[in-house]
Amino acid sequence: MSTTIAAAPPVPKVETPLQRFVSEFVASRIALFGLVVFLAIVAIAVLAPWIAPQNPYDLAQLDIMDGRMEPGTVGGAGFTYWLGTDDQGRDMLSGIMYGLRISLMVGAGSAIIACLVGASLGMLAAYAGGRTDSLIMRLVDLQLSFPAILAALMILAFLGKGILNVVFALVIVEWAYYARTVRGSALVERRREYIEAAQCLALPTRRIIFRHLLPNCLPPLIVVGTMQVARAIALEATLSFLGLGVPITEPSLGLLISNGYEYMLSGKYWISFYPGIALLVTIVSINLVGDQLRDVLNPRLKK
Amino acid sequence: MTGIRHAAGLAAGLAIAGLALGPAAAQTLTMGVGAPVTSIDPHYHQLSPNTAVAGMIFSALTATDGRARIVPDLAESWRPISDTVWEFKLRQGVTFHNGSPFTAEDVAFTFERVPKVPNSPSSYAIYTRPITRVEIVDSHTLHLHTAVPYPLMPTDLASVMILDRETHATATTEGFNAGPMAIGTGPFRMVSHRNGDRIEFERNSTYFGTQPAWARVNYRMITNDAARTAALLAGDVDVIDQVPTSDLAKLRGDQRLTLAETTGLRLIFLGLDHMREDASPFVTDNEGKPIARNPLKDVRVRRALSMAIDRGAITERVMEGAAIPAGQFLPEGSFGYVPGLNPPRPDPEAARKLLAEAGYPQGFRITLHGPNDRYPNDARIIQAIGQMWTRAGIRTAVEAQPWTTFVGRAARQELSAFLIGWGTSSGEASNPLRNLTATFDREKGYGASNRGRYSNPEADRILEQAMRELDDARREALLQQATRVVFEDVGIVPMHIQRNAWAMRRGFAMEARADELTRAQDVRPAAAR
Repeated sequence: MSTTIAAAPPVPKVETPLQRFVSEFVASRIALFGLVVFLAIVAIAVLAPWIAPQNPYDLAQLDIMDGRMEPGTVGGAGFTYWLGTDDQGRDMLSGIMYGLRISLMVGAGSAIIACLVGASLGMLAAYAGGRTDSLIMRLVDLQLSFPAILAALMILAFLGKGILNVVFALVIVEWAYYARTVRGSALVERRREYIEAAQCLALPTRRIIFRHLLPNCLPPLIVVGTMQVARAIALEATLSFLGLGVPITEPSLGLLISNGYEYMLSGKYWISFYPGIALLVTIVSINLVGDQLRDVLNPRLKK
Repeated sequence: MTGIRHAAGLAAGLAIAGLALGPAAAQTLTMGVGAPVTSIDPHYHQLSPNTAVAGMIFSALTATDGRARIVPDLAESWRPISDTVWEFKLRQGVTFHNGSPFTAEDVAFTFERVPKVPNSPSSYAIYTRPITRVEIVDSHTLHLHTAVPYPLMPTDLASVMILDRETHATATTEGFNAGPMAIGTGPFRMVSHRNGDRIEFERNSTYFGTQPAWARVNYRMITNDAARTAALLAGDVDVIDQVPTSDLAKLRGDQRLTLAETTGLRLIFLGLDHMREDASPFVTDNEGKPIARNPLKDVRVRRALSMAIDRGAITERVMEGAAIPAGQFLPEGSFGYVPGLNPPRPDPEAARKLLAEAGYPQGFRITLHGPNDRYPNDARIIQAIGQMWTRAGIRTAVEAQPWTTFVGRAARQELSAFLIGWGTSSGEASNPLRNLTATFDREKGYGASNRGRYSNPEADRILEQAMRELDDARREALLQQATRVVFEDVGIVPMHIQRNAWAMRRGFAMEARADELTRAQDVRPAAAR
């Protein structure tokens, strides 16, 4: 993405780092588009209880006699099922809106916790070195050598269903990425003069880590974090699809897709199709934003 | 995990498409069955797939026909000669696959072996335990002595496959599975067995019954629903069992296929917590606080729960017609069926009124549990019931779990309301009355699957009487009476009885069996038309 250079104004105008960051980010139309779509999805998810035609998690509002209705059918409750209904008579549009809430909540929640855990451990490994470093990094290796989905399946099989358990499982399978990223950049930063200077001033270790080292390791962390949000959302959908994620009466996107899967051959495509599209758009938009963040924040891609 | 299996199945189906053979490949029958056979030893593990395969290799003294009625097999006739003695006349001139003749000695040997099979996960001993003494009158006449009058002897013995004293004296379960011991008197000999994958048979030309239509049978286990359907559509197999309900409509419309369907013997029902007088674990008031007394002990509440359910909606919308609404244990025509005992008409308003009468004008909250991998559409059914109960004022949460987790919790009486099924293999009402609703009694083996611990002294008394009644008509009347008592008291909430479906390529015909068994002798070439 060398277009950033062409777009960046060569005028020697003084810009704050934030301004430069924003202007470089919006230089890519497609990333901007991704960001807009993502914000729209977040808005839909947040506002779902007020804008969805039905509360798909309230069994009293569902009617089995409205099950598997085609998109555009008017149901027994009097409103139109614009995206059809699933086998329980759940309005797919409402189901998707509420499903996005779960997906984003789980994705963001697990990414933030995993980031906190992973970054702390990575930082500790880099700063302490020696045995601590080896121990933590071997743990990371162990974690990364294990397929994420398998680890998550095992954790959930043990803990049982539930959104919090899904978040926990995702944290367990994802912290290692953050730890490795932070350790890598922290090792580089550690040898820089400013850290040496800070150490010479006999600043407390905590202060050196949090005030000096961590801020300088942030850019790669942000990039990894964005990608991991998308990955966590996909993983949650997979787990729910396999029936190990959320409760069946509170379906997330993955469970909605799974509910419709058996009806694909019978021509009732909409039960799986629309939640699938919603999932796809969400993940693609996050990835577009993440890609651009990586380009903007990675100094090596700049001349 | 059906999702992954579906995907894999679809891929497999596409890969094998185009290998279709014409129906002219006669003499060889390829079957695709949904449940794996766990053992060839006919006395090792009571499980429908095992029973089906055992019924191809071996024979029992009696057998059941497609409607689960008892018919002669190795025994030609039987009658009680006193209150505690049954006489069985055996068929003459029958030989085992290895030429060894079949005599009364072999029956006595079989009854000795059944309780001694090591590590049996589900023993056949319950069928032979009532027999206190086997008296060999002559080489083809037996007197079976029991401690108390035992009317179910001919029914029970349909489950006990007869082995040969000479051949099987030291036979182990491994010996059967490996092949050398798989020697019976049935219509097929086993040629090879790959555990959990396939079994090959050839015709037993010395079989005493109707000769099977197939010289060779390839019995393949295809546990993935989509793969099984795909294998049939591709012509890779001739017959499949356990047709998924979501595929039924499509397969019915396919000109290349025929379906064989019949009402089965498996009742899907709701069990309720009858054990606790005080708070039931998953019942709370509307604020989420436990209710001091268990509302499920009140028959008005149980009636309301049953009345709130629209069974027609579930059989039609969720089961897609592959079930009939049930008001009792068995389908019409079975021994012990009560004419006119129908499911209540769905009426949420009347249910609300009954709840108010019982002291719950605002209803209460309950969690309905169920499996998600055991019965067709199990998780969907409990969600639908959740909708209906919630509309009748009982706010219902629904929890579906894998069978093994779920059934453990149900068996430990940890649940308040749960969906479960019961297949009445014997096809008569004493079986569910003894197992599901009789007062739990470990000694007598009664109430073995009475997971809600329902107990009704009147029903117990009538059942006890029926179990000693050797006269069929009088016994049936007693069983009907006991059934009526149980269902008027809503001991369990009956939901529906499943229909069994097989799909086969045009040119094949099959007798659909109520007991779900998939056996090669039931398949014949369709009459030319």
